[in-house]
Amino acid sequence: MTTGARPVLDANQGVSRLPPSTAGVLRLNRADCEESRLRIQQSFLAGAGAPATMECLRGLADRCVKEAVQHSLQEHKADGKDFAVLALGGFGRGELFPYSDLDLLFLFRDKRIEQQLQAVVAQASRALWDLGFKVSAAARTMDECKRVDHENVEFHLAMLDRRLLAGDRSVFQQLEDRLLPRLEKLSRAFLHGELRKLTEQRLAKFGNTIFHLEPNVKEAPGGLRDFHASAWIRYLACGANEPMGPEAAEHRTALKAAEFVSEVRCFLHYANGRNDNTLTYELQLAAAERSLGTADGQTGTAAAEWMRLYYRNARTLQRQLQRCLSLKSSAGQTLWQKLRITGGPENTQSNLGKPFVIRNAQLEILECTAFWDRAAIMSVLTEVAQTGVMLSRQAERELAYILSHTEMQANAEELRWGQLREIFAGDYPGAALRPMHQMGLLTEFLPEFGTIDALVIRDFYHRYTVDEHSLRAIEYLQTLANPTDARDLPFALLWKTVERRELLVLAMLLHDVGKGMEVDHHVTGSLSALETVAERLNLTAEDRAEVHFLIEHHLEMSDTMRRRDIFDAATVRAFTDSVGTRERLQRLCLLTYADIHAVNPEALTPWRAEMLWRLYLAATNHLTRSMDSDRLRASEEDSLLEPLRNLTRCDGPMEIERFLEGFPKRYLGVHSTTEIANHFSLYRQLKDKPVQMELSSTPHAFTLTLLTADRPGLFATVAGVLAGWSMNIVKAEAFANSAGIILDTFHFTDPSRTFEMNPGEIDRFQDDLESVVCRNRPLQPELAGFEDHHLVSAPKVSCETSIGFDNGSSERCTLLEIVTQDRQGLLYRMGSVLAAFKCNIEVALIDTEGQKAIDVFYLTMGATKLTEAQGNLVREALEKALA
Amino acid sequence: MKKIEAIIQPSRFESVKEALREIGVEGITVTEVRGHGRQKGHTEVYRGREYSVDLLPKVKLELVLPDAQAAKVVETILQTAKTGKIGDGKIFISTLEDAIRIRNGERGESALL
Repeated sequence: MTTGARPVLDANQGVSRLPPSTAGVLRLNRADCEESRLRIQQSFLAGAGAPATMECLRGLADRCVKEAVQHSLQEHKADGKDFAVLALGGFGRGELFPYSDLDLLFLFRDKRIEQQLQAVVAQASRALWDLGFKVSAAARTMDECKRVDHENVEFHLAMLDRRLLAGDRSVFQQLEDRLLPRLEKLSRAFLHGELRKLTEQRLAKFGNTIFHLEPNVKEAPGGLRDFHASAWIRYLACGANEPMGPEAAEHRTALKAAEFVSEVRCFLHYANGRNDNTLTYELQLAAAERSLGTADGQTGTAAAEWMRLYYRNARTLQRQLQRCLSLKSSAGQTLWQKLRITGGPENTQSNLGKPFVIRNAQLEILECTAFWDRAAIMSVLTEVAQTGVMLSRQAERELAYILSHTEMQANAEELRWGQLREIFAGDYPGAALRPMHQMGLLTEFLPEFGTIDALVIRDFYHRYTVDEHSLRAIEYLQTLANPTDARDLPFALLWKTVERRELLVLAMLLHDVGKGMEVDHHVTGSLSALETVAERLNLTAEDRAEVHFLIEHHLEMSDTMRRRDIFDAATVRAFTDSVGTRERLQRLCLLTYADIHAVNPEALTPWRAEMLWRLYLAATNHLTRSMDSDRLRASEEDSLLEPLRNLTRCDGPMEIERFLEGFPKRYLGVHSTTEIANHFSLYRQLKDKPVQMELSSTPHAFTLTLLTADRPGLFATVAGVLAGWSMNIVKAEAFANSAGIILDTFHFTDPSRTFEMNPGEIDRFQDDLESVVCRNRPLQPELAGFEDHHLVSAPKVSCETSIGFDNGSSERCTLLEIVTQDRQGLLYRMGSVLAAFKCNIEVALIDTEGQKAIDVFYLTMGATKLTEAQGNLVREALEKALA
Repeated sequence: MKKIEAIIQPSRFESVKEALREIGVEGITVTEVRGHGRQKGHTEVYRGREYSVDLLPKVKLELVLPDAQAAKVVETILQTAKTGKIGDGKIFISTLEDAIRIRNGERGESALL
């Protein structure tokens, strides 16, 4: 690394050594111009910044244009009256890059003057070409400037940046004072619309992303064109008013970013020796070596680090353009239209006292001061995550302003996982996370995410910076709510039914943060980041373990797909052994899907998506079918026994081992240590009371846990009591240990809100359950006519019943899988049929997916599998019961 | 010149690619394909839905080589793609009439280098 002071470049350096012209003789020649250009280039390469370089180039061009025009007028003995030469576009703004075109307008008072001066214009143009300029000239009379040329919008846009170079000032003044104000008034709305259209076309051409392996620093999103388009759009929408408040701050930031990209563009022109704005891999290395644009005199920056700087600046320019694109033009509108836009009631949803409102499908802020409270900011972001309604640019801008002024956050609260969880668990977490990242709120919650901010992975596979990759991955997940591609349909099913979505989103955010750390493998870094995050957000041990698993194994599915035969049973078994439960597999599959998808737009080919789905399918079926054979040997679960002893204060390990022995391994996967300890406590109380029950509630559901010695028909009996109380069972599991103690768990919702509206009914429900289960009271009173007096609404999506028996998957049991329309009392009906045939339910997995019930039973009859004939009888009875 | 088309198991692709690189093969075209030969598909049921796997995922490699190199390349693919199970794939070898480098019109084996 070397350091050095940045040289000072005199604005006249480009022209001061040129020979002075004398009347009638053009003293400038190509060699002199080239020498001046070379001096400017040398100054730039010695460290002079882009503004000074462009200013020198402009000075050189200005002088050459003036002298070429003057010389040509004298050659043709013309006085130059009623004729002016204007600089347009970048040259008009005074931003001339080394190999940019000279945009010139030859302006004539009328047609007659134009004809008289044709030869003058031709000679001046030739002279400029001879001096090494690439001239892009237009000629117009004043009359022609009065009309909008609908076929040449670009000309009118170039005219927005104009200045007089040579000729009759009165002609320019007439254009400036009389013609253009009128023309702009008439054409502003048209130009605004056309500019938006052109901009959108340009952005679409580059895939609407700043992330290109070899970006074009002028035309691509995040390039200089974005900055100029922002200025034009703002002018056309709002006039020439100076930006104020937050807008002024944004403008200053954008100006700085534009200066950086300008420096890159100057460098590219010099490096390529032509007007080529592609930042190629080789030139990225060269620019990084020079630490271009860093202005700290340092050299020898790593290419990835320098590109990080480039993307940050490109992102600033892109955001500035997006903000301007969201501006609505008031030009050309009637008073009524203006009133409607500024506060009319159209498409506005009631805000129910909230400080924000949804207007025209965007979330807008009504009362800024309400958001001085951090909790209010989180509530608006939660609304975004839950509804998918995006923040308006103005709302985003106002929130960013408040967040950047800490004195406005008098009521800022301590950061809590509960707040984040609401956002992460929403249907549209990406819609909230992106503005959170832009406003710096995400890194406030998760400073670890800052390590990958704009971090570049320099290879031809990763298209996006690491933070962008992570956010895109989450956005890809949320688009599964409404998939448009057949490739995504199977995964959509997983996204809609995934449990603990917030943990998946947290894992997605953190899975690559290790790439920003100096560690051997990024997963190690990501896992250590998780530890600090978990500590800070006070995650439970179970949540932490789940996210830990997802991060640690986030490459496992794609590795298995690529390197193993996914149709080989041994591969599937090895993979599922490491995953453990179907719920976890579902989260890992979604994470893998999104992780591959967000690498680059072509990464998730239909072929790869199918491979991933096949692996998921094979693994989930394996997990379901191997449950009976995959049983716990308590003595091998040392890691579980110790914390259990601590939690239960049980000194005798044998008692814990007796309890755990023989449960399906899934039992450990779906219950936390705390829950298992709780189950064990219930188990120890069995000697006092032979049936132990516990009812607990979560915000959206209830869980009933039942522990007792096995007996015929118990599962159906409990399901019947729940049905009698109009409870909707959404998930249930029945496990038995080697000693014949069964542990049934029913997760159910209360659609009639009986318990919520009448808390006293909870006790009555428990008494009822106890009397049926413990004292064998008949179930009939609860169920008498429940189908008659419970309104059963017609299903929105019908599902055909399928009943499948499988005697091959388990050594000891027959697998029964029933897929049918979910309905009131369904589990009771099925359980009753099985009880009537004296089928023993060894394991049951009850699940619902929308209005479809998917239930798996491991059955024995007289301690053996069902014969084909027995199976047929049960099938027939089930078909009748479910018809 | 020979054109070699190899249909292999996706899981063997990384190993085959590495082995080819080690014996100096530089040009290779890879396509993700689906198909089946004697290894017929099967049907999986997931939550009441049937998913039939009648076309199995495979990777297709295409290489054009000087005659002298072809045998070694075929042997390398054979050794590294083989698992011994049904579905390991096939190798097709054909003689090629000509090859042209588009950039400069160069023809024959020299266009392959």
